[in-house]
Amino acid sequence: MSSSDLPRPPITTQRSRFGERLILKGLLLCALLSIASTTAIVMVLGKESALFFQHVPLSDFLFGTEWHPVLNPPRFGVLPLVCGTFLIVAGAGLVALPIGLGTAIYLGEYASQRTRDIIKPVLEVLAGIPTVVYGYLALTLITPMIRAVFQNTGVFNAASAAIVVGIMILPMVASLCDDAIRAVPDGLRQGAHALGTTNFEVSTRVVVPAALSGIIASFVLAISRAIGETMAVTLAAGATPKLTLNPLESIQTMTAFIVQLSLGDTPNGTIEYQTIFAVGALLFVITLVMNVIAGRVLRRFREVYE
Amino acid sequence: MSELFASNVARRKRHANLFRWICAGMTWLSVLVLGIMLYHIVAQGWSSLDWRFLNSFPSRFPNQAGIKSALWGTVWTIGFIALFSIPIGVATAIHLEEYAKPGRLRSFIELNIANLAGVPSIVYGMLGLTIFVRWMHLGRSVLAGALTMTLLILPVIIIAAREAIRAVPDSLRSAGLALGATRWQVAWGHVLPSALPGILTGVILALSRAIGETAPLIMMGALTYVAFVPGGPGDYFTTMPIQIFNWASRPQHEFHTLAASGIITLLSVLLAMNTIAVIIRHRSQRSRTW
Amino acid sequence: MVDILGRQHAAEARGTRSAPILATRGVTISYGDSTAIRDITLEIPEQKITAIIGPSGCGKSTLLRSFNRMNDLIPSVHHTGEILYHGQDIYARGVDPVELRRQIGMVFQKPNPFPKSILKNVTWAPALHGYRGSLMQLAEESLQRVALWDEVKDRLSQSAMGLSGGQQQRLCIARAIAMQPDVLLMDEPCSALDPVSTSRIEDLLFELKSRFTILIVTHNMQQASRVSDYTVFLDRGSMVEFDVTDKIFTQPGEQRTADYVMGRFG
Repeated sequence: MSSSDLPRPPITTQRSRFGERLILKGLLLCALLSIASTTAIVMVLGKESALFFQHVPLSDFLFGTEWHPVLNPPRFGVLPLVCGTFLIVAGAGLVALPIGLGTAIYLGEYASQRTRDIIKPVLEVLAGIPTVVYGYLALTLITPMIRAVFQNTGVFNAASAAIVVGIMILPMVASLCDDAIRAVPDGLRQGAHALGTTNFEVSTRVVVPAALSGIIASFVLAISRAIGETMAVTLAAGATPKLTLNPLESIQTMTAFIVQLSLGDTPNGTIEYQTIFAVGALLFVITLVMNVIAGRVLRRFREVYE
Repeated sequence: MSELFASNVARRKRHANLFRWICAGMTWLSVLVLGIMLYHIVAQGWSSLDWRFLNSFPSRFPNQAGIKSALWGTVWTIGFIALFSIPIGVATAIHLEEYAKPGRLRSFIELNIANLAGVPSIVYGMLGLTIFVRWMHLGRSVLAGALTMTLLILPVIIIAAREAIRAVPDSLRSAGLALGATRWQVAWGHVLPSALPGILTGVILALSRAIGETAPLIMMGALTYVAFVPGGPGDYFTTMPIQIFNWASRPQHEFHTLAASGIITLLSVLLAMNTIAVIIRHRSQRSRTW
Repeated sequence: MVDILGRQHAAEARGTRSAPILATRGVTISYGDSTAIRDITLEIPEQKITAIIGPSGCGKSTLLRSFNRMNDLIPSVHHTGEILYHGQDIYARGVDPVELRRQIGMVFQKPNPFPKSILKNVTWAPALHGYRGSLMQLAEESLQRVALWDEVKDRLSQSAMGLSGGQQQRLCIARAIAMQPDVLLMDEPCSALDPVSTSRIEDLLFELKSRFTILIVTHNMQQASRVSDYTVFLDRGSMVEFDVTDKIFTQPGEQRTADYVMGRFG
């Protein structure tokens, strides 16, 4: 019997494939959760901050230079917290940006495969160490070292927290810069070498400039991560909001303030409770803006070399 | 011919060598730093790390304090985080890679995921506090903590799972579809199994991040003094990083020693998980034929 | 035998017998375990254009890149034998590849201008090397010599990335000759270009011949026969024949050469 004797099955279908359509809806629902999540963050921060700003004018919050929300009379000038955050970020950047870029250049332009096989896992381990561990290290390892040199340093100080935050974001800087440097076409390196230039000149005058937007974007992402860092600064940098640029003093960051207040029992609906959300909203906006800008720059950078 | 140029090669070579050594120094510095940090932790915490430490509840007396409730609290929360985040994360990745047509909705979802990945973890704590603890009346429970952490690590899992799914060659999908399978059958039967090692690696790394996270749980009010092992999703809980934070923030040196012992325990758990991830990655690279 | 022939012709062409500008003696180069070129001995005649031809994968580029030690940049490459520049072994101790590359310029298969201004592309390397004259003048001369000056003189400060492929490649040649090299190595310089740009660059080669010794790798037989004075034919890493171009293309000494130039294989 040849196959042509069989009735030909139809190529249309009456089956509704109900199960499969249900699964599709489920998948879509899961994907939509990320939108819901973002919306929820914005609403939660927005609602409580709105209540906060009914009591405190926005300009007092943004430009006030005194921050003691639980004293009487309370003061809600966020600048000391911003200043503390800035001090940490500047210090961390000073540690992580040059070392991260140097590491990326070394890995991309000089290192043997063997060196890469050692350094990459080390960086991954550094990136995987929980932040509370960095806080412990700042307190018990870095601070004693600093105090050995500068005797009048406080037990809590910005410098030790900044250094560990720098170590923490170093792997991120190194790996993103490494990506950027690798994206530079080899032809440019060869072209430069063929003109009789040294490795130093090729790296600093050709490769780094060509990768510059990618490198800067990675710096911005790392800085944004440092701004949101919480546990290390809570443990090591102190809890005294203050307008100072001296890294040896105790300060308080935005994130550390949020933790400090939430460790105590702050009842829902009080101004103290709303303060947390106002500071959180500021933190959210700052990091979001930095991430969006860096993301755009990175995308454009990748398009150039694809 | 050579008088056209100043003979500056010697100086330039010196600069090049100096630069190379500086970069090499910076690179190896991270190895040194890691070594010093690990040595410091082990030197501080090794002596008090014993069975009694692992099997005791926290206490005001350093020599009686242990990490038992925190260890079990971590196990409970991670279990629930995995239960929630893996299906949701992988489902999102399948939707975006296998079904979603390029367009506004997909770009918007992608934008959201990218931005959520960069939101500071403490902001998730505020979200959890408001939505899960207060609004849904879950209280400061294991469940509320796990849900908060799920939102935190979802972007990481989604991004890793998408990469793993994208690495599956299109020829496999075409082959399945050409045999008359539906897209879901192809996704479930061929794409997902092929992408599984990559997904698993990403999931394990995301869960290790969740294990180490402290700020969101403190924010949503996980208690720092819990002298019992949680019995279910509705119980109060503490976790290892919270316990470490608690010990490290006390002024007495004895508690710092306990913090170091806790850190060794925590890092051992993380190391074990990462070893598993490395083994999975290694095996799949060996058996992969495309 | 082969290199003697080549040397004779080279000597006839010059009418003298001084040390050749570039020569190889028993050069073998391998990538890890696989040998790219095997036991090649030849002498490159001065101020002529020598073409290196052969089927793809025969080691043309590897040979070319050994003359300015660009192969150093690939860690797995190692070589035996000698490569002589004015009679001096360029792999000897104390030879600085940076100095060497200043004197032996190179143009690549794909145009690779730096993402800088057109002017900066030309003046960058001379400035680094401490050029004593006027950089502006040097740039103008170099760009004029590649017939690019008129096209770009009004936009010297614009990015070189905005030029067309053919213009980019001429800019890369200008960049190389601005260093006043002795030898110019060209690795399939036209393979990424359209026919019009190709013929412009071929014209350019004739202009440049009076000043430089040129080695050009090409997969294009017509190009080799049009532009070169001498031709090296490589096959599977070995040198089959080296002779005056006319002879290679009209009465080759080897059957394999004949098959290749007639298009019977490769």
